Amino acid sequence: MGAIDTILWPIRWVIEALLVGFHSLFESWGLEGASGISWVLAITALVLVVRAALIPVFVRQIKSQRRMMEIAPQLKKIQDKYKGKKDQFSREALSRETMALYSKAGTNPFSSCLPLLLQMPIFFGLFRVLSEAGLGNAGVSYMTQDLAVAFANAELFGLAPLSATMNAAISGEAVLAEGGTTAVVLIAAVMVVLMSGSQFITQLQIMAKNQSEEMMASPMYRQQRILLYVLPLVFLFSGVFFPLGVMFYWLVSNFWTMGQQFLVIRNMPTPGSQAAKARDERIAKKREKLGLPPLGEAEEEDAPEQTKPAQRQQPVGKSRAKKKGQKPPKKPDDDDGLAGQAAKPKG
Amino acid sequence: MTTGVKAVGTWVLLAPRNALLGVLWAYRKVISPLYGQVCRYHPSCSLYAFRAIQYHGALRGTGLAAWRVLRCNPFSRGGIDDPPESHHTYFDITEHGFVRPRKED
Repeated sequence: MGAIDTILWPIRWVIEALLVGFHSLFESWGLEGASGISWVLAITALVLVVRAALIPVFVRQIKSQRRMMEIAPQLKKIQDKYKGKKDQFSREALSRETMALYSKAGTNPFSSCLPLLLQMPIFFGLFRVLSEAGLGNAGVSYMTQDLAVAFANAELFGLAPLSATMNAAISGEAVLAEGGTTAVVLIAAVMVVLMSGSQFITQLQIMAKNQSEEMMASPMYRQQRILLYVLPLVFLFSGVFFPLGVMFYWLVSNFWTMGQQFLVIRNMPTPGSQAAKARDERIAKKREKLGLPPLGEAEEEDAPEQTKPAQRQQPVGKSRAKKKGQKPPKKPDDDDGLAGQAAKPKG
Repeated sequence: MTTGVKAVGTWVLLAPRNALLGVLWAYRKVISPLYGQVCRYHPSCSLYAFRAIQYHGALRGTGLAAWRVLRCNPFSRGGIDDPPESHHTYFDITEHGFVRPRKED
């Protein structure tokens, strides 16, 4: 635990500063400092700050998406070439050629896992801050003993402490006022439902609208679909063991993701996906209304004649060309690409 | 007899590798699909890690994978980036991607 706390220390420091800062700001606006609502708003503000800090990454994604539109025809060609091919090698080759195309065009539609990874220590840091404060212990920076005690006593609707978990309320571990148990259980249950709902919608939006047909035919898609139904169970678990305050952070963050996802899918869909078709139709309609010629006609004319249905031999690098000769035949349904390329003994 | 002992020794040698590969396999099955493709590289970081550990072992593979994850951020260029090639001779890779001592035949 010691090592983890050391890593989380700077994060906790910042989170406490932000949380206490917002709390006193809301207090200065006339909100009751000891009330649950002032802390809930402080947590909401914290989410907004964290997510807003990630906006530059988001903007970068938008910019690269513009260039994506330019290479959409080439991308389509690659996708057509591998249409209906579900074996491991075709899918790996599809992914490889797609990435080579992005690289050549100097663009990349993916934002890496860093934005996702960054949020995890923040979440754990917040978890530590709120659970310590819930016990009435002073934190590492601005969360003083007095404030921690105030937080520990802050209640939503005068009944449900933000530091309480459903588990503690039911087992009687948490000392609650009359009706407090019901309030904690109810609030946690509502948050679980909202959290599962927003996550479900976000995930469904991506899956149903923003994936190319190749992706939808892949085993990855099946796994995603299973997880779509498993995640609410994860939230149920968190709803029992996480303090209300932490769940609230997660909930607001989920809502932010849902909104951002909606914007991305609407305005910069993955080429070849249903959302991309919908966007093309919207643009076509708009241009018709304005009396402009349909988009893409001019480009079609001077597109090079590469659209032959036959599989064109892609140029390959020296090392890959060498490897290609040795590739042993693979079971077509091993689709993870995990079995290595030189798996079989040579002799 | 000696080949048997050798095989057991190789299994022990390969055990850390297989343990890590198991963790990565589970990660790729359960957690990766949650957020779809986000990686700026091909192969993705987890597949890179998988292959690096297959071919270079638990220590060097983990090092290679960690360096790759650090390189993969919103401000990197991305593109195609395979783990370095290796010339292994003493193990095979199973269809699920685990390693086992090479059968001598």
